[in-house]
Amino acid sequence: MFFLRLKFMTIDGVSHGASNSPRLGRRVTAARLQAGLFGFWTALVFAFLYIPIILLVVFSFNSSRLNIRWEGFSTRWYGELFGNKVLIDAFQNSLSVAIATTILATLLGTVGAWMLYRYKFPYQRALGLLIFIPMVMPEVLMGVSLLVLFVQFLHLPLGFLTLTIAHTTFCFPFVLVGVQARLQGLDPFLEEAAMDLGATPLQAFWKVIVPYLMPAIVSGALMSFTLSLDEYIVSVFTTGAQSQTLPLKVYGMAKVGLNPQLNALSSIFILVTFLFAFGSYFFSRNKKT
Amino acid sequence: MSLIAAVSGVHDSGGYRRPPNLVAWLVLMPLLAWLFLFVIVPTVMLVVVSFAERDALGRVVYDFTLQNYIRAFDWLWLKVFLTSIWYALLTTLICMFVGYPVAYTIGRAPLHWRGLLLMLVMVPFWTSFLIRTYAWITILSKDGLLNSLLVSAGIFSHSAEILYTPFAIVLGLVYNFLPFMILPIYTSVEKLDNALIEAAYDLGAGPVRAFSQVIIPLTRPGIAAGAMLVFVPSIAMFAITTLMGGGTNPTIGEVIFKQFTSGRNQPFGAALGTILLLIFVLALWITRKYREED
Amino acid sequence: MKKTITLVLSALAAILVGCGKAPEAKKLSVFCWSEYIPQSVIDQFTKETGIQVSVENYASNEEMLAKLTAGGGEYDIIQPSEYVVEALIAQKLLHPIDKTKIPNLSNIAPQFLKMSFDPDNSFSVPFMAGTVGIVVNTDLIKDDIKSFSDVFKPDNKGKIVVLDDAREITAWALLSQGLAINDMSDANLDKVKPVLANWIPLVKVFDSDSPKTALLNGDVAMGVVWGGEGAILLQSNPKFRWIIPAEGTHLFIDSLAMPKTAKNVENAEAFMNFILRPDVSKKISDAFPYTNPNLAARKLLSEEQLNNKASFPSDADIAKMQVFRDIGTQGSKIDEIVTSVKAQ
Repeated sequence: MFFLRLKFMTIDGVSHGASNSPRLGRRVTAARLQAGLFGFWTALVFAFLYIPIILLVVFSFNSSRLNIRWEGFSTRWYGELFGNKVLIDAFQNSLSVAIATTILATLLGTVGAWMLYRYKFPYQRALGLLIFIPMVMPEVLMGVSLLVLFVQFLHLPLGFLTLTIAHTTFCFPFVLVGVQARLQGLDPFLEEAAMDLGATPLQAFWKVIVPYLMPAIVSGALMSFTLSLDEYIVSVFTTGAQSQTLPLKVYGMAKVGLNPQLNALSSIFILVTFLFAFGSYFFSRNKKT
Repeated sequence: MSLIAAVSGVHDSGGYRRPPNLVAWLVLMPLLAWLFLFVIVPTVMLVVVSFAERDALGRVVYDFTLQNYIRAFDWLWLKVFLTSIWYALLTTLICMFVGYPVAYTIGRAPLHWRGLLLMLVMVPFWTSFLIRTYAWITILSKDGLLNSLLVSAGIFSHSAEILYTPFAIVLGLVYNFLPFMILPIYTSVEKLDNALIEAAYDLGAGPVRAFSQVIIPLTRPGIAAGAMLVFVPSIAMFAITTLMGGGTNPTIGEVIFKQFTSGRNQPFGAALGTILLLIFVLALWITRKYREED
Repeated sequence: MKKTITLVLSALAAILVGCGKAPEAKKLSVFCWSEYIPQSVIDQFTKETGIQVSVENYASNEEMLAKLTAGGGEYDIIQPSEYVVEALIAQKLLHPIDKTKIPNLSNIAPQFLKMSFDPDNSFSVPFMAGTVGIVVNTDLIKDDIKSFSDVFKPDNKGKIVVLDDAREITAWALLSQGLAINDMSDANLDKVKPVLANWIPLVKVFDSDSPKTALLNGDVAMGVVWGGEGAILLQSNPKFRWIIPAEGTHLFIDSLAMPKTAKNVENAEAFMNFILRPDVSKKISDAFPYTNPNLAARKLLSEEQLNNKASFPSDADIAKMQVFRDIGTQGSKIDEIVTSVKAQ
């Protein structure tokens, strides 16, 4: 039902200002077909993305301790989860690090991409290559070298700060590449026009460029958040006892079977995110005049 | 605009790109400092270690040696490299074809839907990687859900070997990297001008031509970005391949990781890592040079 | 779009406000395997002694070694396996233990004390032990499996799960050829290379973290796995059988030890003594079905627990088991052999 509405919306865009030619019928049909096909495919892909998630949520109500067979309905894992201070603390740590990382990585990536685009810096090509290194370097190598850097050269205590730095380092290239892609085909005179109207470069950047880049910035932020939340190997080497994240607590759990409390935790988190996402959607929709 | 131009991220429309002034340098400083401190320095350390030896405990002993590189240039490691690159390539291509229509649909959806849909794409990946992957294992295993479905529907006569095959590996990789293809393509689709699309369909040459000749080229930067964000990280990725593939086909990420654990040979791992970096940097350098001569 | 982000961010920020910092009190820093010391045991220790315990986890001995030797973290307690204890002692990286502070050491069964890697227990106290053995799904395999050679037959191709550990696999190959499992000389390795070349292609899954998954899911019919995994399988379904290989196997012991740089030595020794108490050790056994070396604790375990053959091999069997010694840099070579066979 949702995708039928989608088809109508896109058709609105296509048939806007159409003339009454016989070709209109064929064009609208073609567009309709394409939108319908794509919409159907999108639904399939979303189903694919959510299949393990649905299973995960179902198993959070599984009475069996081992996450393999369904044995009966039980909410005991949710109850046990609320008493599990270690897991909850770890999750809070993961969230804080992910948020800090997202903010830093988005800033670095966006400003970096803009500067590199706008100005002709020397060694531009080298800089562009350097940015890809955190992406291609195997995590264990980055983890160990950052550990040595933090402990032996910078004498930093391992904890929230070092962890955030490590995460930001491999997250910001994702933001940067995404923003760079959006900058391709940016009308160069957009900024000039803004400045002609009296804006300073900073104002032009903030009021004209940033709104234009927003989808890329948001995408980059989403990617950074996701990457940081689930990072294991780099975290092992760059954090301390006060900043243990969820993956660190979880990765050894497979030995005795992944505790369904984890399923409960993930289910709750997904529920909360859904509520916010749908909530703000309805909020913004109703706000529109 | 060529694919390579999109990849290179360098663009010069006449005299628009000016040499930087002082303010520009100051603004770029944080990025440069970050790159220097947390990218260049660790990389240099890595290269230094790759020329070092190790003691019985696996700790690095700073005596210069070329033995790690001599050992690395063996057909075995090359095979492992190629396996990883092959999986990465396959994953990238499949993600492109699977993800493009999704990105297109989200990008052309009504304004209020877009943020919501984007989040819905990412939310599955805010669960723990291990539970997600074990959920797939439960689904794909011999006694699992998929096999039960296929057998009871009569498609298969008995359970098939789906898990612990290359198919399962690629499925796991595509699953985990799909959002990183969808999001960048979305950012290119989102700025498509309605009028342009209309014109494309209006040109009278069938819908397929309109799509491939106009829309796809316009979204090329997004496709290229998506390709980079999937291909590059997936080369060294190994947790998925070992869990879904049964660990029978070693990848370079796994080999390097093992050097730091059971192999107790950090310098050798560093050498392999340096070679990986070199191959990558060289490939990127060559493509950009080619683009600039274009 | 902006509204969505603001709302989500502010809500998430609200959750963060709930994060407090632990007060600076008597402290102990523990670096141990995930899921090896139950949180309830740690909490009980804090309640009884007032010492605040911070716990960091690792998923393999070498991860712990890598972080320790790079100078990361200041730990008071680590949990190394037997061959790592040996290596650490040789490199003088462990803090000696004052045994007068650990009277509960006498609870440990004599066969687990004064072992080859730490002849005087000067540096380590045993935590939990275990072995490696064969598990068979008797629903799928009707043959009588008694040894490694029975497992690695061409008929069983694609039906086997083994540990993803090059040293383990090589040790089994050595055992099957009647060679000493710690003799990783080049000559011996050459002898077992053809054995490995035959065995490894028969394996369907390599998994050190949770080999029981493949067995429970029916993807494989037999496996060579840790005793703990075997115990869980035996608990879950009577169709699984546990077999100690006829050619022999090895015994592993995980111990508690103090790095030389430990800051809270007295607290650490108190912790070790605490773990060796029978009631505490029983709690650990209740949570994880490993081989408990604590005789006093065993008296408190249930019949069912003690009868689990994978958790508690017979004393006769244990007497025949060898223990891993440190093989230093040969680990890299073994890794390469196994990888090259896998990559065929």
